[in-house]
Amino acid sequence: MSEKAVMETFEALFALTDLRQIFRETKPTYELSAEQRRKVKEIIERVRRSLEVIEREMIG
Amino acid sequence: MSQISEKIAIRAREELFINIQPIQAGGRLTPEAMKAMIAYGDGYSTCDWCLKPFRLDKIRKPPIDEFHAELADFLGMDQVRVFPGARRGFQAVASTLVEKGDTVIVSGLAHYTEFLTIEIVGGIAREVPPNEDNIITGEATAQKIEEVKRETGKLPKLIMMEHFDYVFGNEHDIRGIAKVAKEYDIPLLYNGAYSIGLMPVDGRKIGADFLVGSGHKSFASPAPSGLLATTDEWAEKVFRTSRATGDLTGRRFEGKEVELLGCTLMGANLIAMMASFPTIRERVKRWSEEVRKSNRFVKEFLKIEGNKVLSEMPRKHTLTRVDTTGSFDEIARTHKRRGFFLTKELKERKIVGPFPGATKKWKLNTYGLTWKQVEYLAWAFKDIAKKYGIPVRE
Repeated sequence: MSEKAVMETFEALFALTDLRQIFRETKPTYELSAEQRRKVKEIIERVRRSLEVIEREMIG
Repeated sequence: MSQISEKIAIRAREELFINIQPIQAGGRLTPEAMKAMIAYGDGYSTCDWCLKPFRLDKIRKPPIDEFHAELADFLGMDQVRVFPGARRGFQAVASTLVEKGDTVIVSGLAHYTEFLTIEIVGGIAREVPPNEDNIITGEATAQKIEEVKRETGKLPKLIMMEHFDYVFGNEHDIRGIAKVAKEYDIPLLYNGAYSIGLMPVDGRKIGADFLVGSGHKSFASPAPSGLLATTDEWAEKVFRTSRATGDLTGRRFEGKEVELLGCTLMGANLIAMMASFPTIRERVKRWSEEVRKSNRFVKEFLKIEGNKVLSEMPRKHTLTRVDTTGSFDEIARTHKRRGFFLTKELKERKIVGPFPGATKKWKLNTYGLTWKQVEYLAWAFKDIAKKYGIPVRE
């Protein structure tokens, strides 16, 4: 049960790391291209999915 | 501001600012390396599957052994080992080849750690003078060798030479120097701290006996990390294994490589190097674009009256030494913040990296910036100049 939550924690951290990279590539104006906006959306969805799994696994 | 702990703030410099600090650019982590730091940060994390012969470069899971083989191939050498920084690679070579009183040829623009590694073993460093353009040539190296031979009656034991130096980021005549090294039969250590991981480097084609690279300077890796690559012939010597025996216990450590003190990068630093490696393989192919960006910035920077570039032109590297004595330093002389006015103005425009307070001679590095960021950087310097009435050519 909690193994899944552990793995999803890494998935979320890795997705947020990809977000860090987008910040690095677009600083200091953070004007995103259409492709970058698509990536950010994907990352946010990925993190949300992971958080849902963690919540379900750990809290119920 | 978020904190890591009570006294340690997060470092979001790379996310919030354009960072042109000269030695930090090539060591910025790839996302894969950042992920490696998250997952492999625990001390001896690489040792989960360390089986006989209990050596870092033989570990199969994660595939550290494979990484070593691929890295050697990438560098055009037979063997490679990872080290905690380029300096430890210099040290391993110097410790193997140089004895007390021996001479080692270095560049007049050599990094201090080369001097220290020679000093540790009691060697004597002799510097090859750069020419009027701050370039070290093969001819000047040959002259220095002759000078040493005349004075000591012996040839130098080793030549340590930068491909690109840390002062100007100038390209030195490394192939000419390698040719001279061969003619005199003196081993050549190629210092690739500012090249390996940034541009294609092939040790065999260069004619080097040793290649030393820096993970944290140019291989998108955390500090300390580095590498030493060599030929099979030299590997036998520099990667020699222990022959020591305990007089009481009779213990022997035959598999352990003496100059490496056994294992070197045990943990996240090595896994981060490995994680960055696929990106490194690709990014070296785009080096010419990085140089174009460097030249683009410099062209705009020179539109500010009084600005000078002290490095060779056109630029062949992204690290550049500039002189703003005739522009920003003129302002600093009467400004209440003195030289820190430039630091503040840059920071307000989300740019960091130049030595705080420096307005005379200083260095910057544009490596890894996007074209958009390069244009923004050039705009920022010109905007500051205009604000203070320094003429800017259009």
